Amino acid sequence: MPKILLVEDNEMNRDMLSRRLQRKGYAVITAHDGEQGHLLACSEMPDLILMDISLPMMNGWEVTRLLKSNESTRHIPIIALTAHALVTDRDKAFEAGCDDYDTKPIEFGRLNEKIDNLLTVKKS
Amino acid sequence: MMLQNLSIKRKLTLITMLTSSAALVLSALSFLIYDLVSFRHLLIQDLMTQAEIIGYNSAGAMEFKDVPAATATLAALTAKEDIVTAVLYGRDNKAFAHYSRASKNTPTLLPPQSQGNGYRFEGGYLQVFHDVTLNGERLGTLLLQSDMRQWSVRAKRYGGILCIFVLISGLFAWFVSSKLQRLISRPILHLEDTMRMVSANRNYEVRATKSYGDEIGKLIDGFNTMLSEIQQRDTALRGANDELKSRTGELEKEILYRKQTQEELLKAKHVAEEASRAKSTFLANMSHELRTPLNAIIGYSEMLEEETRESGKSDSVQDLRKIQSAGKHLLSLINDVLDLSKIEAGKMGLHLENFEVAPLIDEMTTTLQPAAAKNGNTIHVHVANSLGGMRADVTKVRQILFNLLSNACKFTDHGTISVDVDQTKVEGRDWVRFRVSDTGIGITAKQKENLFHEFSQADASIARKYGGTGLGLAITYRFVQLMKGRISVESEPGKGATFTVHLPAQVVAETPESVRPTASSDVAPSSDESKTHKDTILVIDDDASVRDLMSRFLGKLGFHVVAAANGAEGVRLARQVRPLVITLDVVMPECDGWTVLKKLKSDSALAEIPVIMVTIVDNEAMGLDLGASNYLIKPVDRDRLAVLIEKHRAGRPASITGAPATPFIASPQRRRESERRASGKVDHAEDLVSRR
Repeated sequence: MPKILLVEDNEMNRDMLSRRLQRKGYAVITAHDGEQGHLLACSEMPDLILMDISLPMMNGWEVTRLLKSNESTRHIPIIALTAHALVTDRDKAFEAGCDDYDTKPIEFGRLNEKIDNLLTVKKS
Repeated sequence: MMLQNLSIKRKLTLITMLTSSAALVLSALSFLIYDLVSFRHLLIQDLMTQAEIIGYNSAGAMEFKDVPAATATLAALTAKEDIVTAVLYGRDNKAFAHYSRASKNTPTLLPPQSQGNGYRFEGGYLQVFHDVTLNGERLGTLLLQSDMRQWSVRAKRYGGILCIFVLISGLFAWFVSSKLQRLISRPILHLEDTMRMVSANRNYEVRATKSYGDEIGKLIDGFNTMLSEIQQRDTALRGANDELKSRTGELEKEILYRKQTQEELLKAKHVAEEASRAKSTFLANMSHELRTPLNAIIGYSEMLEEETRESGKSDSVQDLRKIQSAGKHLLSLINDVLDLSKIEAGKMGLHLENFEVAPLIDEMTTTLQPAAAKNGNTIHVHVANSLGGMRADVTKVRQILFNLLSNACKFTDHGTISVDVDQTKVEGRDWVRFRVSDTGIGITAKQKENLFHEFSQADASIARKYGGTGLGLAITYRFVQLMKGRISVESEPGKGATFTVHLPAQVVAETPESVRPTASSDVAPSSDESKTHKDTILVIDDDASVRDLMSRFLGKLGFHVVAAANGAEGVRLARQVRPLVITLDVVMPECDGWTVLKKLKSDSALAEIPVIMVTIVDNEAMGLDLGASNYLIKPVDRDRLAVLIEKHRAGRPASITGAPATPFIASPQRRRESERRASGKVDHAEDLVSRR
């Protein structure tokens, strides 16, 4: 069962997304800020991370950069979730090292596809 | 000289005196001369008579040789004071008897050489000879000598009298003339005084008084007339001056007022811009805030729907779907608002990728099939076979088509909606043309004006009947603009509408900073091409140093410079580059500037390009006749050249770029401002919210 780390500060979104992911058969662990997300990523070694960008304590870009510069966590695919939907955000996400990018509101089907893709790529 | 500078008074007196004295002296002198001449004659006569008497009296004594008697006779002459000497000569011319007033000695006077009566002047004395005869026989000669005392006394007296007379009459003449000269000098002096007063005080009200009707009187009259003329003009001038002053004052006031108004307007403009920015930022943030709970609503309802469906409660599934669909509708409206505010805030960028057009059209028609079916419409699609792929922001192309198609579906009832897509070539560039036609309610000419403006549906009743935010076409228009395409609409009310979108087959990405819609570069098909050469100046000059200088100078101003060393190359480059402006020299080997100019202007493709002549040849008329836009003479005034080129850049007319009906073009300044402002600053909008 693939393990997904969801870093999201909005409680409702966190709850909803984690439940929907669980329904799809993923093991979900959640973090409510950047720092916690970073710690959990290092300790739990999830198969994939869904990273909200506007986070308290440490924003998503920073967490991504930290994880991608760390030898042990570099391999974990990260999907950035941003509400801004700006082209510059998209570029920023790839620049920071995110593997993919999606905008809020989450269209669950689309997100699920992206997760599948990244996990398949990882396996192969 | 001194005489000429004397005052007129003195001159007049002097003239009168000199004239009268000269006449007086002359007449006195002639009178004196006449008198003295006639007096001398009288004296001679008198002496001769004396000699005759004495000769007669002494004739007896001489006959008888009686010397004493003769001497006594001669002695009688003592009574005559002026007779100095008297001598009686005998026949032998020897002195017989004599008389002398001064001495007793015999005078040494010689007897006359000739005999007979006569007189002569000798040594200041008058001598008279007389023959002494008795009974017709000559006895001897009598000589009388006179010193003319009487005459000289008389002459002296007369001279004295004359002098006194001349002096007295001269004095009298002076007196009279000094009185009479006033007749002439006084009015002239008065005129002079008046004149001095006028010129010293600039008082033109003074008038000279006229005393007599002579020439001076006329002179004074003339002077007075002149003065009143000057006075009149002076008054008029002063009046005009006053008026000018008051007008200047008014103008100054007006200018001040205008300046104030301008400042107020500027302030108002800033306030408005600020408000607009605040609005955009507020909308962006608000939309974001709205989307978060919506996200939850849609997400949870989707989740619930899945769970409910699995548990088999089909009744609730329908209700949950309604929640979802309402939520999604609300989301799309919010997204529209967000899109628009993002465009306005200058945050909207382009994500360019290559894609095939035909599958996209298929996808769109499939997506919109339910919407079309709702009003009983059918969708016909025609995609040209030749149509391949394009490079653009596929999300935005999709949204453009979605907006146009959903509008067509919305405003058409039981009709046909056609989608035509093909490729065209305009001005050497490839364009993809999308045409969406419907047979719906159509658009009136008046509605067309506001069609692409945000928040404006054709009219309020439409909003009630058909729903929608009225943002769809505004966003469509902005997206087309972003990709440097153009959109136009043709419609007849009641018969349907056709929207045509031209997009470049290869959209060129631009950073948000450079997305500055200007009159020439906003939406036109050729805008991209004109952009490529918008900043290019072609310099045609055979002098390498001139080419170099111009390149550097124009380069500094931000222009790209292409240089040609001769006319033929110049024309070739003009065809190739199609520059913004051509600068052209006249004196060149082989093909001179006039010929080049003629060639350029006779080529329909190049005739539009403004040519600025830059030359040492001073023949502006020739240059302008041949079609040059401006004429500068070397050495070139760079500032002027820069101004001219800027003018041509600014004035690049819409006719070249073929702009469509262009609603709402944000001013570059406003765009820049909003870009700067909206770059991530949300504090202001939050402020705005909390205050409310």
